[in-house]
Amino acid sequence: MKINKKFPYLLIVSCLCILIINCSKTDSELEPQNQAYLSTYKPDTSETILIRNARVLTGSGDELDNASILMENNKITAIGEIPLDTDAKVIDVKGKWITPGIIDIHSHMGVYPAPGLRSNSDGNEATNPVTPHVWAEHSVWTHDPQFTLALKGGITTFHVLPGSANLIGGRGVTLKNVRSVTVQGMKFPGAPYTLKMACGENPKRVYGNRNQEPSTQMANVAGYRQAWIDAQDYMKKAEESRKTPKRDLAMETLSGVLKGEILIQNHCYRGEEMAIMLDIAKEFNYKVTAFHHAIEAYKVADLLADQGVCAAMWADWWGFKHEAFDMVWENVAMVDQAENGTGCAIVHSDSAIGTQHLNQEAAKARAAGNRVGMNISRARAIQWITLNPAKALGISDQVGSLEVGKMADLVIWDGDPFSVFSKAEKVFIDGHLKYDAENDHAYERTDFDLGIIDPEESRL
Amino acid sequence: MKYLLITTTFILCFLISGVNAAESEKILIQNATVITASDSQILENTDILIDSGLIVGIGSNLVANDAIKIDASNQIITPGLIAPYSQLGLMEIQLERETRDDSTQHYSAGFSIVNAFNPSSTLIPYNRSGGITSAIVGPSSAKSIYSGMASVFKLDSKLVTDFVAKDIAMAVSFGAGSDSRASQILMLEDTFNKALRYNDSREQYRLLADFDYDDHTVRDLEAILRVLNNEIPLIVRSNRAKDLLRIISLGKKYGIKIIFHGAKEAWRIAEIIAEAGIPVILDPMDNLPSSFDAIAARMDNAYLLNKAGVKILITSQDTHNSYLSRQGAGNAVAHGLPQNEAIKALTANVAEVFGLSDELGTIEEGKVADLVIWDGNPLEVSSFATAVFIDGKQVSLVSRSTRLRDRYLQKLGLTKQPLIEN
Repeated sequence: MKINKKFPYLLIVSCLCILIINCSKTDSELEPQNQAYLSTYKPDTSETILIRNARVLTGSGDELDNASILMENNKITAIGEIPLDTDAKVIDVKGKWITPGIIDIHSHMGVYPAPGLRSNSDGNEATNPVTPHVWAEHSVWTHDPQFTLALKGGITTFHVLPGSANLIGGRGVTLKNVRSVTVQGMKFPGAPYTLKMACGENPKRVYGNRNQEPSTQMANVAGYRQAWIDAQDYMKKAEESRKTPKRDLAMETLSGVLKGEILIQNHCYRGEEMAIMLDIAKEFNYKVTAFHHAIEAYKVADLLADQGVCAAMWADWWGFKHEAFDMVWENVAMVDQAENGTGCAIVHSDSAIGTQHLNQEAAKARAAGNRVGMNISRARAIQWITLNPAKALGISDQVGSLEVGKMADLVIWDGDPFSVFSKAEKVFIDGHLKYDAENDHAYERTDFDLGIIDPEESRL
Repeated sequence: MKYLLITTTFILCFLISGVNAAESEKILIQNATVITASDSQILENTDILIDSGLIVGIGSNLVANDAIKIDASNQIITPGLIAPYSQLGLMEIQLERETRDDSTQHYSAGFSIVNAFNPSSTLIPYNRSGGITSAIVGPSSAKSIYSGMASVFKLDSKLVTDFVAKDIAMAVSFGAGSDSRASQILMLEDTFNKALRYNDSREQYRLLADFDYDDHTVRDLEAILRVLNNEIPLIVRSNRAKDLLRIISLGKKYGIKIIFHGAKEAWRIAEIIAEAGIPVILDPMDNLPSSFDAIAARMDNAYLLNKAGVKILITSQDTHNSYLSRQGAGNAVAHGLPQNEAIKALTANVAEVFGLSDELGTIEEGKVADLVIWDGNPLEVSSFATAVFIDGKQVSLVSRSTRLRDRYLQKLGLTKQPLIEN
């Protein structure tokens, strides 16, 4: 879209833009710069599959017994009691558990891949504390063998973030756990962009050690505020200017946040820091979508619930930094149950090992809550790794629960998904069987896995 | 939403701790399912009598009128878990150097951490509440190939008691680094040879260099000699299969006892490790090909090693969550390891490999009463320890973490009364 240089037109165009954004643009309507880097992921049309006799945790809050799920054309088209369709391929799971595909809201797979080498340590642009111009997707190594390990653990969608060295670290990207040479071929179609921000010790340690700002918490906060002031100024100038302003990648990202198009994912451990970040959001009129690594979320659980902010938490990791010293096993459950159960709790691991067992992390968090007298069902707790992360990533209209019209991403478990002894048996993405434990050698490996140990074999 | 004030588990917990167990010498635990981690494996409906810190009776319908009685119906008892290698008591906050005592710049092989152990560390009650009753505590990997010596401690938080056993193993790291692994082998051989030469003419060397001998102090050389004299084992942290083979050869050449730690590619040479009688400390969940030393890492390493006859010891890589060795063991079971072998890998095998099995590691008459009562399968992530005994005394399961929890449960109105005073 060419922007008319005459002022009155510009105003109209801006209004139009907002209108178009609000009714979600199709690819051809986007500005040229935004037509690049779009998702090219288009799954083949899947065969019609009817899963029968399942115990289903829907992700939307229910547990269904003896249920069926119909998948056709990459979507879930029916769930519950479904008459036997002779055209469908029938899988009788004989009472096994089914959950939505697991969603990992905090991953550095691809940007901190395995093996960890200097040459592929691409997650932190730790040369400046404010780098909203960088995009994690441009760092993703698409052959990271951690992707397939996560798939075996039931991860169907994951959100890759820049690291936490910077106050504003850059854009995150949501990917489907499918193999593709190009990152565009993994990008979750239509997922909004996210922006990584980081509170606390990491930015001030990285830059303080170089005798640069920020070296204190207060300079962290000054740094965020200055960035938003710059963004507001940029937007105002762009609106007032008669000329098309020179493009500014950093400001495009920050103004995207202020326009509500880009979702803030904020690494933040401490209760008092989260409260301050919420005040910064108030000062500049944007929304914090989720706090990540929110070790002390339980201390401000009522505030988070009141403001509709999600918290992504570990089940039990702690002690690696002072800001991670006050961990409680009940953190997730307390956030979930705050303000009459209106809290938005998410379980994450920030680990390529943990992501393979996110169901176990949720199980630990649920058990901890129930031990202190809460009564959190499986149906509720599964949302911590399905629907709630989908909401926080702005993709809950497409994934996160097993509902008609959503993508056919689901996991068949060989036992109770809240047990350490259970494993993902079959993982479907968009109706395609991507992993099958009964045929462990059949899943698609990354390029890295080929011939790396024995030239004639694959890695695992 | 209605909250139960306290779950059944909690009531039980409360009742047990309401009894002043610390005052009595005798405790009778009744009606438990006992996983002995010994040959007798699992005993149903069994009582355990504890007297003066020891297990003095195991059987059904034991009678001891003067004992404090604890009903453990529907609960499971295991030996206290032993962390096979951690920095418990040496580290409070990983990134804060001044809270750490797990490395040195002055010593190498002979670095003993025994005088740094802090029984008041917050990690100790926390991990005790996760079922760990004792720990092999050793230094972290150092710049030098040698990390130093490990000692054994109880997690009873007592200021006055000291180590259980001192300097019982030496740790080294071998593999990818700034220097070639070939050079690392040479350095091990050279220091072994130096230690032997030093042994031949001790007094001369002492006069020559009381402190420094080619970067290795007399203390370091004395420690290496203990390894060479087969008094203590050498724990070798290494992952690559070929490296493990080289260490096996080195061990044979010098006739020393080896324990592998990490050993992510060990499954590739499981039979050879079994034949060499080398135990392996591992985290079964660490299946990442995180470096070119561990490309062949996989989830069933524990299962494959055990199947080949290797004695495995299951650890958590994270000292703060040492108790999560349980989750690792559970995952190993999910990938084929028999449950009883997994329990042994957390208890009996650790005691045996570090020479502690006269007192620890199994539930047998005559052993020290380090026990854990669980509200479910101890390998299950949703199970909790409801009571822990160290040296026959019931110990507190309160930690700084539970104090914080209770304070904020109350502040958030998620509980009607404080679970403990706060």
